[in-house]
Amino acid sequence: MAGLAASFGSGAMSNSMDDVAQQAKAFFIIGSNTTEQHPVFGTMLRRAVRFRGAKLVVADPRRIDITEFATLHLRQKPGTDIALVNGLMNIILEKGWEDKAFIEERCENFDEFKATVMNYPPEKVSEITGVPVEQLYEAAQIIAENKPTAVIWAMGITQHISGVRNVMDLANFQMLLGYMGKPGGGVNPLRGQNNVQGACDMGGLPNVYPAYQPVTSEEAQAKFQKAWGATSNLKVGAVVTEMMPGILEGRTHALYILGEDPVMSDPDTHHIRKALEAIDFLVLQEIFPSETSAYADVLLPGVSFAEKTGTFTNTERRVQMVRKAIPTQGDARDDWWITSEIAKRILAATPQRVQPEAPFAGWEYRDASAIMDEINVVTPSYAGITHARLEKGERLQWPCPAKDHPGTPILHTKALSRGKGRFMPIDHVPPAEEPTEDYPFVLSTGRVLYHWHGGQMTRRAKGLLEIYSEALIELNPDDAARLGLNGKNRVRVTSRRGSIEAQAWVTDRVPPGMVYANFHFPEASANELTIAALDPVSKIPEYKVAAVKVELVR
Amino acid sequence: MVNIKINNQSVQAEQGQTILDVARSHGLDIPTLCYHKDLSPTGNCRMCVVEVKGGRFLSAACVTSVWEGMEIQTHSEKVMKDRKLTLEMMLANHPQDCITCDVSGECELQDLAYEYKAVAPSWGTKGTRYPVDSDPNPFIRVDMNRCILCRRCVEACAEIQVRDVWGVAKRGFDEVIVAGAGTSMLEARCESCGQCVAYCPTGALSNKMNYGMARAHQVKKVTTTCAYCGVGCQFDLLVKNDKVIGVQSNPDAPVNGMALCVKGRYGYDYIHHPDRVKKPRVRRYLLDGGKKNREGSPWDWVETEWETALDITAKKLMEARDNYGADSIGVLTSAKCTNEENYLMNKLARQVLGTNNIDHCARL
Amino acid sequence: MTNKKIKYQPIQPEILELAAAHGNSPEAVLEVLNDIQAEHGGLSRQRITDTARALGLPAHRAYGIATFYSMLSLEERKQVLRVCDGPVCWLKHASVDAWKKKMPADDYTVERTSCLGLCDRAPAVLVDDEQAGPASPRDASRVTRGWRGGPTDYSKPRRGELRVMTALIGRIDPDSIDDALSHGVYDGLQSALQKTPEEVIAIVEASELQGRGGAGFPVGRKWKFVAAEKRTPRYIVCNADESEPLIFKDRVLIETNPHQLLEGLLIAGYACGASEAWIYIRGEYESQARRLENAIQQAEAKNLLGENILGSGFSFKIHVHRGAGAYICGEETALIESLEGKRGEPRLRPPFPPSYGFRGQPTAVNNVESFCAVPHILKNGADWWKSLTGYTTAGTKVYMVLGHVKNPGLFEAPFGLTLRQIIKMGGGMAEGSKFQFALCGGAAGTIVDKSLMDVPLDYASSQKGISLGAGAFLICDQSVSPVAFLRELLHFFAAESCGKCTPCRVGTWRSLEILNRLAAGEGRAGDVEELKALSAVMLDSSFCGLGQSVPIPMNSAMKNFGKAFEEAEK
Repeated sequence: MAGLAASFGSGAMSNSMDDVAQQAKAFFIIGSNTTEQHPVFGTMLRRAVRFRGAKLVVADPRRIDITEFATLHLRQKPGTDIALVNGLMNIILEKGWEDKAFIEERCENFDEFKATVMNYPPEKVSEITGVPVEQLYEAAQIIAENKPTAVIWAMGITQHISGVRNVMDLANFQMLLGYMGKPGGGVNPLRGQNNVQGACDMGGLPNVYPAYQPVTSEEAQAKFQKAWGATSNLKVGAVVTEMMPGILEGRTHALYILGEDPVMSDPDTHHIRKALEAIDFLVLQEIFPSETSAYADVLLPGVSFAEKTGTFTNTERRVQMVRKAIPTQGDARDDWWITSEIAKRILAATPQRVQPEAPFAGWEYRDASAIMDEINVVTPSYAGITHARLEKGERLQWPCPAKDHPGTPILHTKALSRGKGRFMPIDHVPPAEEPTEDYPFVLSTGRVLYHWHGGQMTRRAKGLLEIYSEALIELNPDDAARLGLNGKNRVRVTSRRGSIEAQAWVTDRVPPGMVYANFHFPEASANELTIAALDPVSKIPEYKVAAVKVELVR
Repeated sequence: MVNIKINNQSVQAEQGQTILDVARSHGLDIPTLCYHKDLSPTGNCRMCVVEVKGGRFLSAACVTSVWEGMEIQTHSEKVMKDRKLTLEMMLANHPQDCITCDVSGECELQDLAYEYKAVAPSWGTKGTRYPVDSDPNPFIRVDMNRCILCRRCVEACAEIQVRDVWGVAKRGFDEVIVAGAGTSMLEARCESCGQCVAYCPTGALSNKMNYGMARAHQVKKVTTTCAYCGVGCQFDLLVKNDKVIGVQSNPDAPVNGMALCVKGRYGYDYIHHPDRVKKPRVRRYLLDGGKKNREGSPWDWVETEWETALDITAKKLMEARDNYGADSIGVLTSAKCTNEENYLMNKLARQVLGTNNIDHCARL
Repeated sequence: MTNKKIKYQPIQPEILELAAAHGNSPEAVLEVLNDIQAEHGGLSRQRITDTARALGLPAHRAYGIATFYSMLSLEERKQVLRVCDGPVCWLKHASVDAWKKKMPADDYTVERTSCLGLCDRAPAVLVDDEQAGPASPRDASRVTRGWRGGPTDYSKPRRGELRVMTALIGRIDPDSIDDALSHGVYDGLQSALQKTPEEVIAIVEASELQGRGGAGFPVGRKWKFVAAEKRTPRYIVCNADESEPLIFKDRVLIETNPHQLLEGLLIAGYACGASEAWIYIRGEYESQARRLENAIQQAEAKNLLGENILGSGFSFKIHVHRGAGAYICGEETALIESLEGKRGEPRLRPPFPPSYGFRGQPTAVNNVESFCAVPHILKNGADWWKSLTGYTTAGTKVYMVLGHVKNPGLFEAPFGLTLRQIIKMGGGMAEGSKFQFALCGGAAGTIVDKSLMDVPLDYASSQKGISLGAGAFLICDQSVSPVAFLRELLHFFAAESCGKCTPCRVGTWRSLEILNRLAAGEGRAGDVEELKALSAVMLDSSFCGLGQSVPIPMNSAMKNFGKAFEEAEK
């Protein structure tokens, strides 16, 4: 979300799903397989198109399901999103469709940005992206004429080495058209996991404290020093994609992992395995033995969502209750209890570390709501969000700065969070790895409707497994014919980092020259192939483009 | 505003409101089966008929708008008689198997039949027109013998899920609800979201996973938030004997209303999967006090008490901190866990350990 | 995600071509299915699914249609002989089983069908799309050789007839527009085009022309509603889905003088400010549909249809749309649904078609006979039309008299005839026949005994217990059991109920079950009581006119022949 933060000063979905679905005149979906990854929101968009006549432009190399509802489907080459978006903006400026008043009053740095966009005439963009010139014009016209258009994206935009720049360019796009701060418009990144938003909000990031208070700020440091009686230094910490290589480089010696499975979900599995083999100590708090637990020294049984009370924050900043429905299974414990027990033990051994008189120095929590009470004090955007209010049925979206504040469904309605929105000149950067003679295919990766992430949950759901029982590699019929595939064969997909074998699904969902794989099944996880090339700012790996070769398995 | 009379009482209503809306907003109960507030009204079932003064026929309250001076009787003798007979017509072609039906206790047909003291006629067809459990969908149990042709499934699939799996085939007495061209649901492009089940007023469409597991009155419902994607759907977990046996739409869910996806509605059985880790485990070498050894029996898991596991964990983390500095420790918190848990992980990293090396899989 | 277990084969090229030939329009789904069936003798799930995919529809939409219309078949068949089992053919002892025994089973599928609209040729059959009759199983071998019987000759008026719409029967070649023109067809259009649309509507309104479909709604008023709607395009729809037993007048009007109908549609289009018209003709009237298509081509060649008609600035197109076997499509909103490529199920009303009709646009739906009357009114004036009758209801009406009369068939006369006069127009009771009862109006009409013989008939007379309906009268003598006769009617309604609403879907079926028993002499105590209760709930609570009108013959039969029913119960 670094891209949005740079442009607007705030890095979350600007609007609510409801106002996007009900009030947008058009949608521009780029890099989101909405109906499979956010299915219920996907159906809201389908409803808008079917029953409200909203227009839909989808930009995606794959013929994903929602293209069935699209007014126009642009099939850009993987990793050419910036060129595409710049090309559309070039046309918008050429036609004079930009919102001049919005740019004048609420944005800055327009001229520098415009100079960059001028370098992307439609013909050149068509060459880079593979999208015909007339389709570029048509898309620009649909989006410019249907006011406002909501831009919606997900990992298809961020999981590139240019991910942050992709996001900034989409922010440019919405500022150019004046679609910010309006119901039905805005920038709408869809968060992948149920509580990604909350994990970020709560300081689960190396650069910020809760509510995005920067660790580099002395003011923030002082605030938490005072609240907790101790805190960390002013240096930005390591991201997961730095921690792992750090093991082999002697920087990382211990890992405490809560409910994650880096062997499945991180890029370049081979490399991750090597790293985890070398770590001094790995404690994993999980509900299932996972691919990662093979490397753990200690495995602490946490609980599933059905066994816990707390809150999740969804993609539109809505904080909602999770309620305990059943007792914890076996001798498992609440995850918050486990964490606080570890904390208490360490603090007991090194009492000098904290100033005990600090209001939140201790770790004695009665229950999850008591933790929320502490969050209220140190997290300005959550200051007014309490379990009591949520239990009363109040519907709260942060920022909610006070106990009597109704929450904020749409951001940036009056002014952008940083005052004026900043246009960022962004240039196209080719993907880290492009097809070569030896690796002639582009691999893109993602999830499918019936499974979830590393598959720990969904591979243990019988019905889901019945419908989608094994990894499938999507392969275009032309390529399949060239490889001599008859639709029954398995294929071997090999990158410079690894190789997997799986059943081919011959389908024109993927264009010729592209294959698509998921990472739900350990026996054929796409992340054996992916490249750990990171966006320089967000450190998000480029899951969406890798060069591979495809062979028939006889 | 229009002035109308319902059951001899003067009432004001909005122009364009249906009789049903006005009646319900005044606490008057008009029975419905094919009507659902989320779906386009169709007026098929004729349960909601009322008497409008001057009308040649009875009017279906769900689709008839009020007009100035309208006089309505919602429970006149004629209306009650017609409703009862209409119900009996449905019962004539509905198996009398409430005793084994999975939705008994939360079946709208059953409730109305009871309320109207309808008697299942001796004529009609009894449970043998269509195969029972006729669709191979792993989640959705189809028994068209129980179908009353209200078409809520057809509308839910078209208007909520926008997938158009269900449709109406044949006509007259042979009319039947079908998936696609009379195929299986999956062949008709079903996404197994279960919206049709959620909207079915009878046991024609029900859930396979918890068939036979619990009666409506035996379950406790706990409203919670889905743990899959970031949309944040809410639903009720159905609990019996401390086990989650199902997921049910909760119409008050802020984001999703009745809608859910296949994972949210049917992807819950991992909760009680035998693979669940139920006791803390540590590698044997940690108990033996030896050096880390990833080979053979030292690397075997040993189940321990919490004290042991927690002590070892704290000790090992401190060792790393003391030997290599706080930044030698990485903390991976979880986008699957709650805000409260994430906050504590952040506090642990920064306050207790003193490192900013905390991250989660937001990027992945 | 599309389920991986489901392999989607490419759509068969043949179906892609057919779909393209119909502009890939979802509205054309019935036409595409008709074309496929014409080619292969039947559909299949695969073809149905492919059709849906080719037209961008969900599979269930095409399947719902394929299984709704009785002429469509999932199985491939070589040739099909459809045996009419309507009440008129039933009186003539029509029997599907007897036909089955006589027809070569390898080549012919023999099946029942609801009334074919060939009541003046009863007993009638349909051989593929060719009408035949009178034809009994004895004729089977010559039917296989192409014999189809002959149409009834109406060229000579009966004594007492007053011919307006039927005036040119036998006097023109219906396939020749020149013949029609030389006999003054299209003069009414010429006259209309010299007036403003408002003036045309005023004339039609002044003529007091009432809709001839059976309900008698004033035609001029309906057009005024359509013309008053601001939205365009507006449409004209001609209801030629003449599917009610006893009724065949529209067929005769079309086959004897198709240009008269086109002229009426043109005038309606001009008056309502419409741009296009559809003639929805039942699928069993294939030869009449072809005659209309031929007439349309001829009219286009003479610039009586198309752009800037006769230099007037008025442009108009007429399309012929074939149904595929569904009585319910005669209900105007069901007809519109069917025209839009959906199952022919009635819509909620209001809104009514004049404000929300075909494609949601303002639409005037009228019966064939109504349109046929219009040119004469334009040509001769509203006063002339009113002067044709001495009765309160203006103009002439096409009547059909059937059953046990000497000379069954069709004739035209003013309103206000009594049943006694109608029987007389039919040549009186047949030899050896004594009047017992008549079914008046159509299948959804009243069953009356002789006590109502002298009530003058028009659209209001149903309040007196005898209906005019579409103008058909089936006269039954002492040999016919009223109970068995009512069973035949319920047999029809149960077969034709669309199934949308509970009372009609189950009520018709259950009533038939009881009547089967009563007619077979196996009645039980309480049967008549139950019939009355079913009739009441169908009348009060049914969704549309079909269910609401089934009780008309039921109640009148039970009232007028209560004794026969009581006896059957024992």
